[in-house]
Amino acid sequence: MQSVVLKGHQDGYVINLKADAKFVDILRELTELFEQLQQDKKMDSEPLSFNITTGMRLLDATEKQKIEEIVSRYPLFSIHKITSEVMRVQDALEMIESKSIHLNANTIRNGQVEHVKGDVLFIGNLHQGGMLRATGNVFLLGRCEGIVHAGYPSNAEAIIVGNVHAAQQVRIADAVAIVAQEQVADDEGTVVYVNDLHVLDYTKHTEVKTIRPKLFARMGGY
Amino acid sequence: MGKAIVVTSGKGGVGKTTTTANLGTALALSGAKVCLLDLDIGLRNLDVILGLDNRIIYDIVDVAKGRAKLHQALIKDKRFEDKLFLLPAAQNADKSALAPEEVQKIVAELKPDFDYVLLDCPAGIEQGFVNAVAGADQAIVVSTPEISAVRDADRVIGLLEKQSLSEAPQLIINRIRTHMMNDGQAMDIDEITRHLSIKLLGIVFDDDQVISTSNKGEPIVLDEHNPAAQGYRNIARRLQGETVPLMNLESFEKQGFFSRLKNWFGKK
Repeated sequence: MQSVVLKGHQDGYVINLKADAKFVDILRELTELFEQLQQDKKMDSEPLSFNITTGMRLLDATEKQKIEEIVSRYPLFSIHKITSEVMRVQDALEMIESKSIHLNANTIRNGQVEHVKGDVLFIGNLHQGGMLRATGNVFLLGRCEGIVHAGYPSNAEAIIVGNVHAAQQVRIADAVAIVAQEQVADDEGTVVYVNDLHVLDYTKHTEVKTIRPKLFARMGGY
Repeated sequence: MGKAIVVTSGKGGVGKTTTTANLGTALALSGAKVCLLDLDIGLRNLDVILGLDNRIIYDIVDVAKGRAKLHQALIKDKRFEDKLFLLPAAQNADKSALAPEEVQKIVAELKPDFDYVLLDCPAGIEQGFVNAVAGADQAIVVSTPEISAVRDADRVIGLLEKQSLSEAPQLIINRIRTHMMNDGQAMDIDEITRHLSIKLLGIVFDDDQVISTSNKGEPIVLDEHNPAAQGYRNIARRLQGETVPLMNLESFEKQGFFSRLKNWFGKK
């Protein structure tokens, strides 16, 4: 049985490594394959890039390294990417976590930092000196008198929606604003975002469609 | 089996030690057997407020390090017939002289013999705070109607909630100046309680006599007509499970012609 299959696709060459084959066989056959390709290829010298798929098998770092090592012996060939049909449970959970909106009803007290992966709908109390920090967007319904940080540490696409009038600071990615110095309306519909000049700016929730069309579509607006 | 309660605040000068002394005395007056532990090592005060400073032979560090037995270090307050005891802090050591496990051990040794073990926590949230909280089942957070004290109380409540004590922390608002609160110049009781979102155990009015009696080594609760003393007595009753209504700010102010007159002059 063949463990390594080369196929041509519309968008290039794909090498499929059979998931049920032994890895040593795969390495051997892969070497043979490249050896043969090298010989066929001698005429024209245009470099070729391959996508490698591993099906239902997940390669670890050392296995990937071994494959890359084989390919690196042939200067004409390179690997574009190695993909798989499966992923680790931990990675999957992390992905779910970072893609979903978390409901948070905690009391965040002075000196405490509440760190959320992904978006957060906050209905708790954020006291002065406390910090609510999310890697994604922050939607505020609760009382908010501390520091709100969206898009931590570097996602400047994130926004903060809600009444930040009483907050001490709003932060998105690396941009910081001291709320008392700005004229922020006492309004639940306030949206804080990073504008084209990379400065924090305030607008109304009705403008989300214009400033963040992708997010707006994801939230189900049209 | 008694209950160990830590009295803490974060901020200094809000009245932790005064509260510990008066609450302990009030509990002892009501018949409970109380032991007070001063954990403010290096800056001990509780003994002075109780007027027991001249009777210290051994201290808590001596007990922890095995230089003295617990019963040798305990000081009995003779005014309350075997009801009130003090384990004083060391004066010539610092907060790191004690470890949380040592405090836990001492408290565990005291609890079978006492109804209440009150731990007087030092200001701050460092080693001294960690030591004091380690020994406690319950916490009382003392604050004053000042923004800085409330902020620190908030911080401390956050730390206490992480400690998983068997009961949620409760709040005492101390040094209330009624005229300022009624005028809206100070934060009011509801505002503070709502902000900190913990149960209010009681309020204590500010009174000059608290200072003058402390100076004499007699806790203010001994004077049962004093408004601050009433506050402490009410707190002691609530701790023992009684339902006592909160003292009223306005009625306290209208209590008598003289106190009104005093306030009136005080404002000028």
